[in-house]
Amino acid sequence: MTSTAAASVVGQPVSRVDGPLKVAGGATYAAEFDPGPGLCHGAIVTSTVASGRIASIDTAAAEAAPGVVAVLTHRNAPVLPYHEHKGLTDPPEGERIHLLQDDRVRHQGQPVALAVAETLEEAVYAASLVRVSYRPESAVTAFSDAVAHAVPPGPRYRDRGLEGDGGRGDADAALGAAPVRIEAEYVMPRLNHNPIEPHGTVARWSEGELTLWDKTQWVDNVRAEMAAVFGLPPDRVRVVSPFVGGAFGSGLRPWANVTLAAMASRHVDRPVKVVLTRRQMFGITGYRPRSTHRVALGADRDGQLLAIRHEGVSETSTYETYAEEQLGSSEYLYACRDVATRYRVAPRNVQTPNDMRGPGKVTGVHALECAMDELAAALDMDPVELRLRNDTIVDQSTGVPFSSRSLRECYQAAGERFGWSRRNPRPGAMRDERGRLVGYGCASATWPAMRQAAEARARLLPDGSAVVSSSSSDMGPGTYTSMTQVAAETLGLPLERVRFELGDTRMPTAPVHGGSWTMASLGSAVQAACAEARRRALAEIGRADADLAAVLRQIGEPVEATVRTEPGDELRRYSAHSFGAVFAEVAVDPDLCTVRVPRLVGAYGVGRVVNPKTARSQITGGMVMGMGMALTERTEVDPRDARPVNSSLADYLVPVNADVGELDAVFVDEEDPHVNPLGVKGLGEIGTVGVAAAICNAVYHATGRRVRELPVTVERVLGAAVR
Amino acid sequence: MEFLSPATWEEALAAKSARPDAVPIMGGTDVMVELNFDRRRPAALLDLTRVPELREWAPDGDRLRLGAGVPYAVIVDRLADRAPALALASRAVASPQIRNRGSVGGNLGGASPAGDAHPPLLATDAVVELASVRGVRRVPAREFYLGPRRTARSDDELIAAVLLPAPAGPQQFAKIGTRNAMVIAVASFALALDAGRRSAGTGIGSAGPTPLRAPEAEEFLAAEFDWAGGRPPSPAVAQEFGALVAAAARPIDDVRGSAAYRRHALSVLARRTLGWAAADYRREMAACG
Amino acid sequence: MPAQTLTATLHVNGREHALPDLDPRTTLLDALRESLGLTGTKKGCGLGHCGACTVLADGRRILSCMALAALYEGREITTIEGLAPEGGAARPHPLQQAFVERDAFQCGYCTPGQIMSAAGLIDEGRTGSPEEIREFMSGNLCRCGAYANIVAAVADVARTPLVPGAREPEQGRS
Repeated sequence: MTSTAAASVVGQPVSRVDGPLKVAGGATYAAEFDPGPGLCHGAIVTSTVASGRIASIDTAAAEAAPGVVAVLTHRNAPVLPYHEHKGLTDPPEGERIHLLQDDRVRHQGQPVALAVAETLEEAVYAASLVRVSYRPESAVTAFSDAVAHAVPPGPRYRDRGLEGDGGRGDADAALGAAPVRIEAEYVMPRLNHNPIEPHGTVARWSEGELTLWDKTQWVDNVRAEMAAVFGLPPDRVRVVSPFVGGAFGSGLRPWANVTLAAMASRHVDRPVKVVLTRRQMFGITGYRPRSTHRVALGADRDGQLLAIRHEGVSETSTYETYAEEQLGSSEYLYACRDVATRYRVAPRNVQTPNDMRGPGKVTGVHALECAMDELAAALDMDPVELRLRNDTIVDQSTGVPFSSRSLRECYQAAGERFGWSRRNPRPGAMRDERGRLVGYGCASATWPAMRQAAEARARLLPDGSAVVSSSSSDMGPGTYTSMTQVAAETLGLPLERVRFELGDTRMPTAPVHGGSWTMASLGSAVQAACAEARRRALAEIGRADADLAAVLRQIGEPVEATVRTEPGDELRRYSAHSFGAVFAEVAVDPDLCTVRVPRLVGAYGVGRVVNPKTARSQITGGMVMGMGMALTERTEVDPRDARPVNSSLADYLVPVNADVGELDAVFVDEEDPHVNPLGVKGLGEIGTVGVAAAICNAVYHATGRRVRELPVTVERVLGAAVR
Repeated sequence: MEFLSPATWEEALAAKSARPDAVPIMGGTDVMVELNFDRRRPAALLDLTRVPELREWAPDGDRLRLGAGVPYAVIVDRLADRAPALALASRAVASPQIRNRGSVGGNLGGASPAGDAHPPLLATDAVVELASVRGVRRVPAREFYLGPRRTARSDDELIAAVLLPAPAGPQQFAKIGTRNAMVIAVASFALALDAGRRSAGTGIGSAGPTPLRAPEAEEFLAAEFDWAGGRPPSPAVAQEFGALVAAAARPIDDVRGSAAYRRHALSVLARRTLGWAAADYRREMAACG
Repeated sequence: MPAQTLTATLHVNGREHALPDLDPRTTLLDALRESLGLTGTKKGCGLGHCGACTVLADGRRILSCMALAALYEGREITTIEGLAPEGGAARPHPLQQAFVERDAFQCGYCTPGQIMSAAGLIDEGRTGSPEEIREFMSGNLCRCGAYANIVAAVADVARTPLVPGAREPEQGRS
């Protein structure tokens, strides 16, 4: 890259700064770290019942197998302190499973033993020789009766603002009086993150200090949890995670591989690597929970919303309560006087779900936006027009204005690019040149703009370069790149003279890399740290206008500033959200009922865009995930024993290249002076929100058939038997 | 786990005879999944990758003798005119990487009803050549599949080749999957028309315990098809052909699709492939003049 | 089972690597990653379902998780570390450059497999249109969803004409 004019580097489509390393195979992911001599491999044995106790466990054959160093079970594993630890990404209600600490089995696929051997092959073989028998206990696994047995999320969720019941006015009365009403139920299956890199950890103890190379979105929380589990002061634990091979939320909590690797490493006094198999990724990590939603909408004949009632139930485990904000968007997305929301969770003998890209919103907005399309049909109104008619500049759930809101502009921009005006409003009226039914659909997207406290360090070197660091993560959005841009612009140094480092607990503390808040939170800290370091350097020579590189050479030693920034009260004075509009074109084979998606077009108002190149990739990548959710993805759970029956990438179908047609994402010009110093609202999650609804609505437009259960399988389009 | 690495076909047959439990491995597509998934720990693997004959193909009378280890990619690139239906099916197998290694021999050895190669072999009346130290025998594909993952191959036999009759008319293959590529078939169907014998061959994949034929559909089409003129089949004929194909299937509900949809899809695929084949037939007639 | 091992020599990226105690169960993928320290080849599923482990064997793209290392003795294996003519960032392969320029990845984990697959594809000559590239790049999953940019990157190197106006990866604001 040639020298980039520093002052304009934010907002430029800069290529990823870590790109050359990644394309050369030189980026080192968790399981690829070399901890030094003596590395052993651990292979996990998992339970085959959903609930019960281990009756017997025979490790003799495994222990006698070649190369085996140890076989850990609840009978010989070290007793660990497991002190209380509740990170922001842990469910506040309940308690995590204490691995290999007792004979209790709480879900299918729970680790019950770990075989440790000299090589991976020997460990895997030894694990296959462990014989376990169970005393099964009755387990609640089916989701079909979940609604009847669901409960509120609980008091600790209430403290976090997730009560379960929300709204305003009298929705039931307003619904009763509304001249036009629709009501429908929407079902969404369990979804797994399925990053291509499986979760894995390399653990090494040295003089009572634990080093973990782990795949995580939050090194500081891994450190905190492991310190609690092993009863160590946090400064005796170091967690390193410079590259994350996709996570989409799966890296928000440490999974069994972390604890087991650390436990085994201490037990055998050698470094140990534990990597989950793809099948174990379905049984040990979290997932987007199954859910059932019921939406009732009432409107006047002009399409003005009069009432929204939205009820949702999602699955959780019996030992922790995972709840997510599924219905909040129904309270703020549109103007409506009378709104009622009711959210419940249904405990099942399954492992605990966790956040997956766009948690809550992806689910709730899907139901709401499908319902809006049904309302538009009932009104005989254009679906875009219905949304615009209910646009609002005030968040009616709180009464405060939006910090910025470009939903209307998004519909206009995306609709124009998409060619919405070519849509024949009558379902089943459009065909392509191959005779397939063509449908156009749209949906709104939204994601809250949040911000956390963050800390960054800027270290300016005598050679005129800078190293900026914080313990954040880059699971793919481009943290390395965008932070480098912010730092370079703030310092007034060329991009290639600035290096950003992340992913190590030795660095200043970043918030969890999730929630689409990394740029808002850490970007603000990077900006502040760089401004402070620059100020200090210039102050040393007493000139505010000098060339920084020259000043640094003159000073001759490093100048450093570590700054922590926190959000102010701006998010109480304003309701801050990114908004978007997504349009889908589908082509449906009239006989086979296969659905293809030739085009997805979205426009988004996300505040300032630091890097339009990586931002666009984020959005279009999110669209692909939304497409998978719409058409192919589901984790099928056997109702008899809660076993995921399609736990492979041959049966859990994420989109392949040939499934993806034209993807178009644009950002509308939007300045948000309120939300944070950088004016960014976040765009990691919003690209997935609304996509499935737009596709379902397009399928309706193509076929006249409402598919209210995801994914939109051929059977459902055909209206045939099950599946 | 023992490795047996014969360098010649004779050595391979001797090895298989001495160790009938040895699992032959060529492209590894099926064997490696079982190894890596830990379902199976064979005492011995019989590495056939060094046996050159398995990768060769040559005329055998008026048939093409296709070595059991010829990769799918080679069939797609070089044998589309000699084995049209099999070439179409080969292009639909798994991924390009797997098509560079996987071969018809592996499909026949594993005998999964979802294997993409089976329907064309059935439809074209291909013959499977089995060999052992006892000798060589040729079993029609139509008699090869005995039950779920059970075949006519004896434990001491290796699959040497398939013999593909020279195409005597249009051949078609169609597959439905939940994705556009790299997907296990929900249902697949192959159709081969034989203008000389005025007969039709069919093959059904992923819709029964074994790959299946639709004999009644074949007889119906042989009687109803306009062999002289190649006129497009009437809607009623196409409909009936599709219904007979669907009726021949014995599908189940599983995670990939419902039995009801599979039957429905087969009737559609049968109608469509018939339409394409009839159009090809007319083109060929016109070309011959 | 006795701890039977083999001795094998792998030819990887133009170099010979002796594996004196090779467990016969070892896949080519695990041999590369665990024994030879060539971690650029990625493991996503171990079952041939994702394509992250794609390498070239005698110039053809294969899945190294579906290959036993012992069966690849004497074959010329090329991994992402050996794709560039002079090895690495100094003089990257055109595909490596194109992937960076087109932003054809996010997390980067499937990327070595995508690039090796693309290298095989270009040699196979199935790059006549974006549709053909899509079909023949479908053996490589990308969960970040960078597919459109992957097609653009491969098309750049293969000189495949892209439909004007479609899938321009660097469009900015409207």
